[in-house]
Amino acid sequence: MAGTDYFSIPIFFIIFRETTEAAIIVSVLLSFLSQVLTEDPAMKKRLSRQVWGGTALGLTISLAIGAAFIVVWNKYGHNLWASSEGIWVGCFSLVAVLMITVMGVAMLRTTQMQEKWKGKLSKAMDAENARGLGNQSRRYALFILPLITVLREGLEAIVFIGGVTFTEQAKAIPAAVVVGVFCGLLVGYILYRGGNGMSLHRFFIGSTCLLLLLAAGLVAKGIASFEAYTWAKKIHAQGDDSATYDPRVNVWGLKCCDPNNNNAGGWQLFNAILGWSNVASIGTIVGYILYWLVVIAWLVYMKLKRRRAAASRAAMEDLDATEFVGEKQEIGTDSSTHSDTAKDLEGDRIEETPALDSNPVDLKKL
Amino acid sequence: MLPSFKTFAAALTLLSAAAQAAVVTYNWNITYVNANPDGLYERRVIGVNGVFPPPPIEVTVNDTLVINAINQLDVPTSLHAHGLFQVGNNQMDGPSMVTQCPFPPGANFTYTIPTVNQTGTYWIHGHNLGQYVDGLRAPLIIHAINETYTYDEEYTVAFADWYHQEHAPLLAFYLSIYNPSGAEPIPQSGLINQMTNATFAFVPGKTYRLRVINMSALSIFHFHIDGHEFDIIEVDGIDVQKANVTTFPIAAAQRYSVLVTAKNSTSNNYLIHGDMDPMMYDVVPPNLVLNITGTIVYAPDAPLAPIEYSDWAAFEDATLVPVLAQPTSPYTTQNVLTAAFYLMTDYTNKAVFNDITYVMPKVPSLYTALSMGNLSSNPQVYGPNAHALIASHNEWFEIVINNDDTGNHPFHLHGHVFQIVGRSEGLYDGSTPYPYYDASTNPNYANPMRRDTMLVPAGTNAAIRFQANNPGVWFFHCHIEWHLEAGLAITLIEAPEVMPSVLTVDPQHYEQCAVQGIPYQGNAAGNAGLNLTGANFGPSILPGKFTAKGIVALVFTIIAALLGLVTVVWYAHDDDLALAQASLAEAAEKNKAAAESEELSSL
Repeated sequence: MAGTDYFSIPIFFIIFRETTEAAIIVSVLLSFLSQVLTEDPAMKKRLSRQVWGGTALGLTISLAIGAAFIVVWNKYGHNLWASSEGIWVGCFSLVAVLMITVMGVAMLRTTQMQEKWKGKLSKAMDAENARGLGNQSRRYALFILPLITVLREGLEAIVFIGGVTFTEQAKAIPAAVVVGVFCGLLVGYILYRGGNGMSLHRFFIGSTCLLLLLAAGLVAKGIASFEAYTWAKKIHAQGDDSATYDPRVNVWGLKCCDPNNNNAGGWQLFNAILGWSNVASIGTIVGYILYWLVVIAWLVYMKLKRRRAAASRAAMEDLDATEFVGEKQEIGTDSSTHSDTAKDLEGDRIEETPALDSNPVDLKKL
Repeated sequence: MLPSFKTFAAALTLLSAAAQAAVVTYNWNITYVNANPDGLYERRVIGVNGVFPPPPIEVTVNDTLVINAINQLDVPTSLHAHGLFQVGNNQMDGPSMVTQCPFPPGANFTYTIPTVNQTGTYWIHGHNLGQYVDGLRAPLIIHAINETYTYDEEYTVAFADWYHQEHAPLLAFYLSIYNPSGAEPIPQSGLINQMTNATFAFVPGKTYRLRVINMSALSIFHFHIDGHEFDIIEVDGIDVQKANVTTFPIAAAQRYSVLVTAKNSTSNNYLIHGDMDPMMYDVVPPNLVLNITGTIVYAPDAPLAPIEYSDWAAFEDATLVPVLAQPTSPYTTQNVLTAAFYLMTDYTNKAVFNDITYVMPKVPSLYTALSMGNLSSNPQVYGPNAHALIASHNEWFEIVINNDDTGNHPFHLHGHVFQIVGRSEGLYDGSTPYPYYDASTNPNYANPMRRDTMLVPAGTNAAIRFQANNPGVWFFHCHIEWHLEAGLAITLIEAPEVMPSVLTVDPQHYEQCAVQGIPYQGNAAGNAGLNLTGANFGPSILPGKFTAKGIVALVFTIIAALLGLVTVVWYAHDDDLALAQASLAEAAEKNKAAAESEELSSL
């Protein structure tokens, strides 16, 4: 199976993730509209169309930019790096690792995302109602929001893909993009239909696990790329020496199971998802294990930080409950404040957006 | 009664013939010299008597050739007269650790070599540590009393490739871990008679015999002469029926004699060409001049005739017909040897015959054969990597050589010429009868071409056959020096049961071994019987499987990944607030209980 020649797994996951997020936002908007505007079907229809329109335009623009970027890059960028390909592949593999890891971990906060957006919308709608619906400038708020969101998601995806594309072939990109988009839309649809947050949560845990496995494999592959480059220089390789390796640091070198062998489809898949290679060195093994240790340490750190913050908040609530009954409302149900606090708990990486049509919010940094 | 005039005349002829069988002595002080044979780079070379190139050796058939060799280098050395049968004289054949210990610096070794039953073009070269590549090589011509063909004069045209670096550092790189593809070092130039601008004076109307030799470490030369055709008349010392060709390839260690008729005018001089075949090199450096030339001079100032470019037409040496017919016989023993190159367990690229790479034993194989009594017929005593094949006296011995490599290899057998009885494509596995030459594939199948060095092209095989009538230990190896040193060799133990009665080793040779601490009795480890502890053994082919180290590493990576995934699940569990509230409630409960108990206790 030369499947991985035509289907880039990292790109699939990136597109999937970005599409899912965009789909979440759109589905939240649409279901919100159905809930809020039950008495006014005409308004609901108009606003729904705005949402779809904004989404579609955002998608089109970002796809166009993405395609152009990839074409230009693959046509001109590749030639620039041809002679020192090993080093560039290695570098960009490691950059991709960073991006995928951050994205994968952030993906775990999706349910909070949903809550956050619902909160934002209701706050915005309240503001709208206060000034009167039908106001011209705010008529298009529901067009602009999805447009900006989808555009932002799309451009983010392009940046991610740009980082990963060095390690992927151009012909592997289209199929991965199409399937990723399809899967993301599927998830959004499920959400819209009221899939409960819990099973979605499990789904995101699963995809994060896969993404981190991918990233760990990329670490090994990036290091292998560096090592292959230096070894080739040492032996003055003539191009057909690609199968050799530095025996002094080698940990295993198998005759079988070579992912570079076009007939070994299964091993190619292993290589794409897990970073498997029939040649492993001290560098690749240590790098792989170290990556997991770093991820584990980071996750543990963040979790413990959250627990402390939650403990202090719970204590505060407890205090409020016993002493300041009246002010409980300010703290408890207002989800935007929730998100404020949530932001504080996670670290101050984002600015909160008070209004809908101002600065885009980076959903990932929850 | 008085003997008749006829018998008297016959007796006189016999006597004179015997008288002509002289002892021809050469004194060879083997020394380092500085030389610049290609005019591009001066370097240290190995010369003889302070001269480079070493002068050719010439004898007449039936002469006894005596070479008093004195080693004035700083490393041990030995000499091999390539192509000479050394009948009953195996101990003078020369390959280091096969028939002798190399003799040390300061020592002298006298090679006494009979030349009965062979005439033609041969060469003599160093056979230790690749010294011939550094220049220790020279043509060796055995003139016949009555040559088969008539010609007016003869010249020797000895081609060789030439390196600017000494052989030892090149070999060190070639056999290192930094050469996993086994790329042979590429020469910097080609030489004729170990110089550039060789000239050969031709007189119009005369017939010349050109003795073409290839003394290279690696290269194949395609031989052709501008404006002249020629007839091949001799191959590796075997006279053949005239074969008219315009070009032929000559591989390392091969020899051909051709007859060329000079033109009738002196209006032009002509170039003799030796085109080095770029297929022998991994990479052709841009400044390597592949097509080297010498000049046939008719008149000193005559202009050169236009240069011709040869198409290197295919040439099949098995179709040449020996003048002295020797029929073949079916084999008694057949060995199929498959030549290949692999990355070994010591991470160097080595050559193998049937997965065994040749490694020199601790005791020269001939001395093992002479000291092991009945065990000399047991191939084990020669060592695990000497790859000993045993031949019984006078049996017809056949070797099928499979070239399972992407390069062309010239294989050479010491002590014999062998018949070429078949060639075919691909590799022969012995499961079907071998497709020998017959009337439809080779007209002279009943009188097969015989020679001592044969080129087997990549991915093909050849069958050779000879009669084991020359007791001794004979080396069989690829004559690309790099490959010999990478282990593409086997040892033929021919008639070991007869050896002690036929061969005698000069005690001085044993002394030279002792002086260097090399054992000269016993098996390959210097022990008696079959105890081979301490024998030299070689690396084996890299199996490409998991080792303990690999399995441990794999297990740890899997554990790390699993731990990571578990942590992800744990991290994603959104129980912080609930946990916090629960622990608060618990704390409140405790406080309450504590307060209550305090109250109670204070009562």
